[in-house]
Amino acid sequence: MKNLLRGRLFLGALSITTVLVIYVVVTNQPDNNPSLLPPISLIIGSFFTNLEAGTLLDALSASLFRIFLGFLCGTTAALVIGCLVGWYETVEYLVDPLIEAVRPIPPLAYIPIVIIWFGIEEFSRVLLISIACFMVCVVNVIAGMKNVPKVYVDAAATLGASRIQIFRTVAIPAATPFIITGYRIALAAAWTTLVAAELIAAPNGLGYLLQEGRRYFLTDQVMMIIVIIGVCAFSMDRAFRAIQKRLMVWSEARE
Amino acid sequence: MPEIKVNHLSHTFGKNTPAALTVLDDINLTFPSGSFTSIVGTSGCGKSTLLKMMAGLFVPSDGEMTLDGDVINGTDNRRGMVFQQDAVFPWMTVAKNVSYGPRLRGASRAEQAEIEAKWVEMVGLKGFEDRWPRELSGGMRKRVDIGRVYANNPDVLLMDEPFGALDAQTKERMQSDLLKTWNQTKKTVIFVTHDLEEAIFLSDRIIVMSARPGRIRHIEEVSLPRPREDAMRLESEFLDIKRKLWGMLEH
Ligand SMILES: Nc1ncnc2c1ncn2[C@@H]1O[C@H](COP(=O)(O)OP(=O)(O)OP(=O)(O)O)[C@@H](O)[C@H]1O
Ligand SMILES: [Mg+2]
Repeated sequence: MKNLLRGRLFLGALSITTVLVIYVVVTNQPDNNPSLLPPISLIIGSFFTNLEAGTLLDALSASLFRIFLGFLCGTTAALVIGCLVGWYETVEYLVDPLIEAVRPIPPLAYIPIVIIWFGIEEFSRVLLISIACFMVCVVNVIAGMKNVPKVYVDAAATLGASRIQIFRTVAIPAATPFIITGYRIALAAAWTTLVAAELIAAPNGLGYLLQEGRRYFLTDQVMMIIVIIGVCAFSMDRAFRAIQKRLMVWSEARE
Repeated sequence: MPEIKVNHLSHTFGKNTPAALTVLDDINLTFPSGSFTSIVGTSGCGKSTLLKMMAGLFVPSDGEMTLDGDVINGTDNRRGMVFQQDAVFPWMTVAKNVSYGPRLRGASRAEQAEIEAKWVEMVGLKGFEDRWPRELSGGMRKRVDIGRVYANNPDVLLMDEPFGALDAQTKERMQSDLLKTWNQTKKTVIFVTHDLEEAIFLSDRIIVMSARPGRIRHIEEVSLPRPREDAMRLESEFLDIKRKLWGMLEH
């Protein structure tokens, strides 16, 4: 087990190092154009410049705020509605066709209408992220509720559980693996939507810095922001996995 | 007094469809209060279906069942059921599974702890209280299932091949324990099994069912004295019954 883990860490580090080495070699070629492929030193330089100027932290906090708020609203709505749809057939027949009809629309397609209705405001950006989180999450919550094994429901019923007790003590725990997966996918969707929304309409945030980099041809800044987004999204997903592992101690498949 | 009556009960799955399958046909039975009845019959003759209907899990297409004269309609904690499949909740530890029923009805922590200690010991899982079901063997999980139903203290015990997954020694111990518990509490027990010896050892009465559609073929009264001892398994009266029932199940 320990060997395997070490092997895994080693292989992961190996692939990242390889990419970095290739990048360094390419950017060190005499005919490399640094405004297309800035050397790593320039990218790191841009990081410190933006850090000292305060622009980086401002952008990061603005973006993280939107992510957290949008994620929270979107997944909470998905949890409530998904549970109702997955558990009560009447609600399912009522709401499911609507969800199925709206689901294939990419969240970014709402950008124009959201801007028309609510303007280029903070609310619009958070709303877009909420929609994106909701859509991917609700499907998983519904699937979780529908896949509760019948024998557990029957067992609880014959032990005297009421419908609502079965929901609370059987359906919710049995569905948690699906629900947590839904939350993780929602987090990824939040990042995708965030950057897109900020690229188009935001006075600040990571997407804004990207856009600014493009406009003034600051390729090093663009590269730096891409790396930052990658690191943030990755570490949040890791945190989520840790939570998942904690909540799923009882499950045979814990990954 | 928990007496169950089954009146003209028939059941067809998928009625009014081309795939309609009549599983039970005009079943009439009385399970007197405090009696121990076994049901045997070939696979697929509708034993599980009958038991689930008595639990109130679904409604028969014809006829009715009563508990003390009241028509059974829906589930409640008076009729506890040990399912043929594994029904242990994987998200609760062994102890929490066992005290699930009382917890539903608001038992205090102290009461729960007492119930857990008593029934975990009873099903021979002492020392495994805080384990997750995934850490147990199939037979141990079955015992958690049984403990959970016992701990809920139902008036009627419906048991669907509860000891099928156990090794011979554990099985015989669980059978003796079941008889002991039954003796103390005088619950009405309805017990489905494939094992004739088990049926004879435990029961006052054995119902033999025939298949497709499920009908009652024979009812055997077992007059072996109680308390039953393991030695009785080899007595000629015991073996005579076994031979007779064996012949009925053959063809
Ligand atoms: N929900 C269902 N829908 C349709 N058919 C069903 C359903 N449940 C059971 N059956 C059918 O009813 C018949 C009886 O099933 P049941 O589970 O009661 O048999 P059983 O006597 O318990 O068999 P075994 O000894 O193998 O457990 C089977 O032929 C089965 O295919
Ligand atoms: Mg069965």
